[in-house]
Amino acid sequence: MSGNMAEKAAQNFVEAYEAARTALPGADGWLARRRAAAIESFAGAGLPHRRLEEWKYTDLRQTLDKAGFASAPEHMGAVVLPEAAAASAFSTLDRYVLVFVNGRFRADLSKAARLPKGVELHGLADVLTEQWAKDLIERRFDEARQAEEIVDLNTALMNDGMCLRIRKGVKLDKPVHLLFLAADGGASHTRNLILLEEEAEGTVLESHIGEAASFADIVTDVALGDGAKLDHVKLQDESADAVHLATLRGEIGAGARLSSFTLTLGCGVSRGQSFIRFAGEGAEAHVNGAYALRAKQHADQFCVVDHAVPRCASNTVFKGVLDGQSEGVFQGKVIVRPDAQKTDGRQMTQALLLSRDAAMNAKPELEIYADDVQCAHGSTVGELSKDALFYLRSRGIPEAEARRLLVLAFLDDVITLAPHEEVRDILRGLVSGWFEEAST
Amino acid sequence: MAAVRETVETVGEVEKYKYGFFTDIESEKAPLGLTEDTVRFISAKKNEPAWLLEWRLAAFRRWLTMTEPTWAKVSYPPIDFQDAYYYSAPKQQAKLDSLDQVDPKLLETYEKLGIPLTEQKMLAGVAVDAVFDSVSVVTTFKEKLAEAGVIFCPMSEAVAKHPELVKKYLGSVVPTSDNFYATLNSAVFSEGSFVYIPEGVRCPMELSTYFRINEKQTGQFERTLIIAEKGSYVSYLEGCTAPQRDENQLHAAVVELVALDDAEIKYSTVQNWFPGDEEGKGGVYNFVTKRGDCRGANSKISWTQVETGSAITWKYPSCILRGDNSRGEFYSIAISNGRQQVDSGTKMIHLGRNTTSRIISKGISAGKSSNTYRGLVSVHRKAENVRNFTQCDSLLIGSKCSAHTVPYVETKNPSAVLEHEATTSKISDDQLFYCMQRGIGEEEAVALIVNGFCRDVLQQLPMEFAVEAQKLVGISLEGSVG
Amino acid sequence: MLEIRNLHVTVDGKEILKGIDLDVAAGEVHAIMGPNGSGKSTLSYVLAGREGYEVTEGSIRFNGKDLSEMGVDERAAAGIFLAFQYPLEIPGVTTMTFLKTALNAQRKARGEEELDAVRFLKLVREKAKPLNVNDDMLKRALNVGYSGGEKKRAEVLQMSLLEPALAVLDETDSGLDIDALKTVADGVNALRSPERSMIVITHYQRLLDYIVPDVVHVLSGGRIVKTGGKELALELEKSGYAGYGADAA
Repeated sequence: MSGNMAEKAAQNFVEAYEAARTALPGADGWLARRRAAAIESFAGAGLPHRRLEEWKYTDLRQTLDKAGFASAPEHMGAVVLPEAAAASAFSTLDRYVLVFVNGRFRADLSKAARLPKGVELHGLADVLTEQWAKDLIERRFDEARQAEEIVDLNTALMNDGMCLRIRKGVKLDKPVHLLFLAADGGASHTRNLILLEEEAEGTVLESHIGEAASFADIVTDVALGDGAKLDHVKLQDESADAVHLATLRGEIGAGARLSSFTLTLGCGVSRGQSFIRFAGEGAEAHVNGAYALRAKQHADQFCVVDHAVPRCASNTVFKGVLDGQSEGVFQGKVIVRPDAQKTDGRQMTQALLLSRDAAMNAKPELEIYADDVQCAHGSTVGELSKDALFYLRSRGIPEAEARRLLVLAFLDDVITLAPHEEVRDILRGLVSGWFEEAST
Repeated sequence: MAAVRETVETVGEVEKYKYGFFTDIESEKAPLGLTEDTVRFISAKKNEPAWLLEWRLAAFRRWLTMTEPTWAKVSYPPIDFQDAYYYSAPKQQAKLDSLDQVDPKLLETYEKLGIPLTEQKMLAGVAVDAVFDSVSVVTTFKEKLAEAGVIFCPMSEAVAKHPELVKKYLGSVVPTSDNFYATLNSAVFSEGSFVYIPEGVRCPMELSTYFRINEKQTGQFERTLIIAEKGSYVSYLEGCTAPQRDENQLHAAVVELVALDDAEIKYSTVQNWFPGDEEGKGGVYNFVTKRGDCRGANSKISWTQVETGSAITWKYPSCILRGDNSRGEFYSIAISNGRQQVDSGTKMIHLGRNTTSRIISKGISAGKSSNTYRGLVSVHRKAENVRNFTQCDSLLIGSKCSAHTVPYVETKNPSAVLEHEATTSKISDDQLFYCMQRGIGEEEAVALIVNGFCRDVLQQLPMEFAVEAQKLVGISLEGSVG
Repeated sequence: MLEIRNLHVTVDGKEILKGIDLDVAAGEVHAIMGPNGSGKSTLSYVLAGREGYEVTEGSIRFNGKDLSEMGVDERAAAGIFLAFQYPLEIPGVTTMTFLKTALNAQRKARGEEELDAVRFLKLVREKAKPLNVNDDMLKRALNVGYSGGEKKRAEVLQMSLLEPALAVLDETDSGLDIDALKTVADGVNALRSPERSMIVITHYQRLLDYIVPDVVHVLSGGRIVKTGGKELALELEKSGYAGYGADAA
C-alpha cells in the first residue's frame, strides 16, 4: 500500500474537521483549542495499524481506508427501527430513553421527562462550559498508551453525546437507555460523559443498531465518586459494513463499583476499549463481555485495568463464540502499581471456535509491581466438547439442539455477570436468537 | 524476620557470584570494532571456506540495515557495537590432541568453575566441550562418542571436517535475516558446539558445553547446531559463566536444533553469566536466539532453562512443530535479583497435525529486578488437533521488584485446545514462620520454598545438574530477604 | 524448664495476654483450656517467637535462657516445637525434603553432625510407621492436599523426628474425627518422657481423655484464672467456661 493510500482515511477526518470546525459544539471556548491540538496530534499519528503492539490484531487504518467513510448526514425525519431483535431489546424495561440518530440527539424521539431531583441529563453542547465536563474530557489515562491515542480523533470531531450527572447520594430511579441508530451511512463521533458523585447510583444501557455502512466512534468518559455505583450494559448489533470503535474510560473512587457488560453481536469490524483506573481504595471494577460472531466479522476487546492504589478488586471475563470466518481478539492488561498492595486482579478469556475458518487471538497480560497481591489470568480456546455433545445425544437430544444448548451454556456463564436480572434475561434471549439465526 | 521487608535494597554482597574471577592468560584479539574486515579476520582465523565467508558477509551487510529490537521490557543504555572485540582466543596451539597440551591455567579455570576437564576427574557419563571466549579449548570423550557415530566437536572443526552437514543445516532454523542479534551472530560467530546424532542412535552420554567469557570488552557469539537424525536421541546441556566486570559484556548466541522423524532433543541450560553488582553495574547482556525445528514426524524438542545470571536476558527458546505428531516443551526458571532484567519465554508454532506443546514457566523476582514472561502459542490453519498447556507462575520477593506476563495465543484452527493459566504470589509470612519454627534459617527457608515453587521445572533437568541448579536457586536469592 | 513471669503481650496494639505466670517442669504435661479469644494461640505464638506478638512486660525463660533474644529458628533448635492448629502448605516441597532440611538445620545449629540420606530415610520410616504415615505421603508436597487428619499426623511426625524439649500443641484436636484423634494422641503419648515437657492447648476436654495432663490451667481474658489437676478439665466439661469470664464461648 502506498503512503498516500495509507493516510487517506486519516486525511478525510482532518478535512472533515476543517469543514466542521466552526460548527462543532464549544467552538468559541477552551474546547476549540483542545480540538485543534487533538486533530494535530491525530494527524501526526494517523490511524492505528498492526505495527503498533496494542493494535496488533486490528488494523483500523486499513479498515477505514477501504470503507472511506464521509461524515454521516443529519437525519431529521421519522426513523424506522431495524427488524433485528436487538433494536427493541430494552423496550420492555421501565426506562428513560435517549435516541441518537446518525450520532445526533433527537429530542423528538426521546423520553426522559421527570428526572429525579439531583439527576441532570444533557446533550454534549449544553455542558461544555461546566468544569466537570472539561475535567472528564481532558483526562488521560496513560500518555504512553497507543490504544488511547485514537481518542484524539473523537475529541476533535465529537459533536453530540449524553451527559449524565448524578448528585451526591442520589439514586437514579430507572435506567437511562441510549439508543444509537445509524440510519444512514457515514461517520459519527459521539462523546458521553457520566459523573456519579459520592454514593450516587445509576444504570446506563446502550444499544447500537443500524443497517447502514456506518462508522461509530464513541468515547464514554466515566468518573465515580467515593462509594458510587454504576451499572453499564452495552449491546451492539450493527450492519456487516459498519465499523464500531468504542472507548470507555473510567476512574473509580474509594469504595465505588463499576460493573460493565458488553454484548457484541454486530458489525464488520469492532473494537471495544476499556481503560479503568482506581483512584481510591476498596473499589471494584467488573468489565465483562460476551461476543458471538459469524461470517467475516471481527471483534477486538481491549481492556486495561490500572490498580494505582491498594485494596481494589477487578475482574474481567470475556467469552465468545466464533462461527464462519470470523475473528475474535482479546487483549487485556492488569497493572498493579508499586504500593497497590492487597490487589485482587483477575482476567479470563475463553473462546469457542464453531467453524474451520474462524480464528482467535488472545493476549492477557499482567504487569505487577507489588508483591502482596492476588493476580491470575487464564485463557482457553477450543471447540465444543465432543464428549459433551456425545453425552447429550446419547440422551436423545438431536445434534443441532445439543450444540445450541452447549453454546448457550458457555455464554451464559459470563452473561450471569451482567448487572440486573431483567437485563440478563434480555441478553440471553438475544444470544439464543443469534444462535437460531446462525443455524438456519 | 518477615520474609519481605523493606530492607531489600541491601541486596547481596558482591562475593556471592563465585565465578567472578578473571584468568590472566595471553590472548589474541581481533581489532576493536566491527567492519567487514573484522568478519574476514574471524573467518580467516578459522580457516573457513569461501562459502562461509560469503555467508557471513551477507549477514553483516544485512545487519548494517537493521535496528535493535525495542519491544522487550528491558532498558539499557545504547550499545556501542564499535567499542567491543568480536574475537578473542587464548594464545596456544590451535589444535590439541591431548589434554596434556592444554594450558594448565585454562584447566584450572574450569576446575574452579566446577567443570573438571582432566582425565582422572572428568564427569562420569558427560562429554564436555569447553569454550573459552571465542574458541573451544577441549572436548572430552570424543573417541567414545565416535564409536557410536556421534559427532560432538567445536563448530570450527565441523566446518572443516563435515562441511556438507554444516552447509545443509546452518541457518536453516534461524535464518541469517532472523533478527538483529541473530544476524549479528551470523556475521561474527566464533565458536560453539556442533552435534550430529546419526539415524537410530541414542547418544550414549550427556553432551555438555561450558561457555566462559574471560576477556575484557569481548562479546561472545557462539553458534550451536544440533542435528538429530531419524529415531535418534540426545540430551545436551550448556552452562555459562563470566568474570565480574564493571562494564557490560555482550553475549549474542544462536542455537539451532533440527529433529527429524522420531528424533528427540533435550536441551538444558544453566545460565549464570555475571548479573552485575547490586547497583546494576556491569553484567552480561544476554541476547540469544534459540530455536528448534521439529522437522520430522513424531519428533520432540524439549527446552529446559535455569536462568539466574546476566544483567539483561532476552531469550525465547522456541519450537517449530512442523512434523505431524511432534511435540515441543519449554520448562523455565528465571530468577532475577538486584537490578537484573529478564524478558524471556518461548514460541510454540504449531504447523503440523496432532502437534502438542507444554510450557511451564516459573519467574522469581527479588530485589529491584524486573522479570517478564513473553510467550506465543500459534496454531496454523492446517494444524489439526493441536494441544497446548501453558502455566506461568510468578513469585515476588519484596515490594521493589516486578513481574510481568505477556502471553500471546493465536489460533486459526477450531480443533485446537489451548489452555493458559497464570498466577502471581509471594512467599507468605506464615509459610516462612512455619519453616523457621522447625529450625530452618530464613535464607534456607526462602530457598526451600522457591525450590518447591520451581519443582516442576527442576525435575526436567538431567540428574547431574539438578542438584547444582537447586543450589544455584538458593545462591541467586541470597540477600533478597531482610 | 519453662518459666513465664508476668507476661504481657500485645498484637496490633491490643493487649491479649495480661500477666501470665506459668512454670512447666521437665516431664510435665500442662493443659491450657479456655474459651475462644482467651489468648491460647497467642501464648503458643509468643513462645515460638512469631513476629507481631510483642512482649511488653514480663519474661519467658527456657532452660535458663531468655527467649526474647532468640529468633524463631534459634528457639526451634533450642528445643521448642509448635504443632500448628492450621499447618501451612508448602507447594513443591516434599514432606521428606522438608523433614530432612529441618532436622539437619537443627542438628547443625546445635553443632551436631548432619544425617546423610540413608540414615535419614531409615530414621523417618521408623518414626512414620506408628503414625500411619506411608512413603507415598512423605513424597507428596508438605500438607498440600492433605486431609485434616493427615496434616495433624504430619505435625506429630515432625515432633517425633525433631525430638523437642518442649512441645506446644495448639488445638491439635480441631478437625479430627475420633479415630484420627486416637492415632494422633497415641503418637503424642509415645513421646512423653521425663525429659520432655508439653503444653496442650485445647478448647474441649475431649483431647485430654487421650492425652492426660498433669496440670490444667484455665485461660480467660488473657490471664490464668484457675489451675488444678486433670479433674479440672472434667469440671469444665460439665459447667462450661461461663464462670471464668464474660466472653465465654
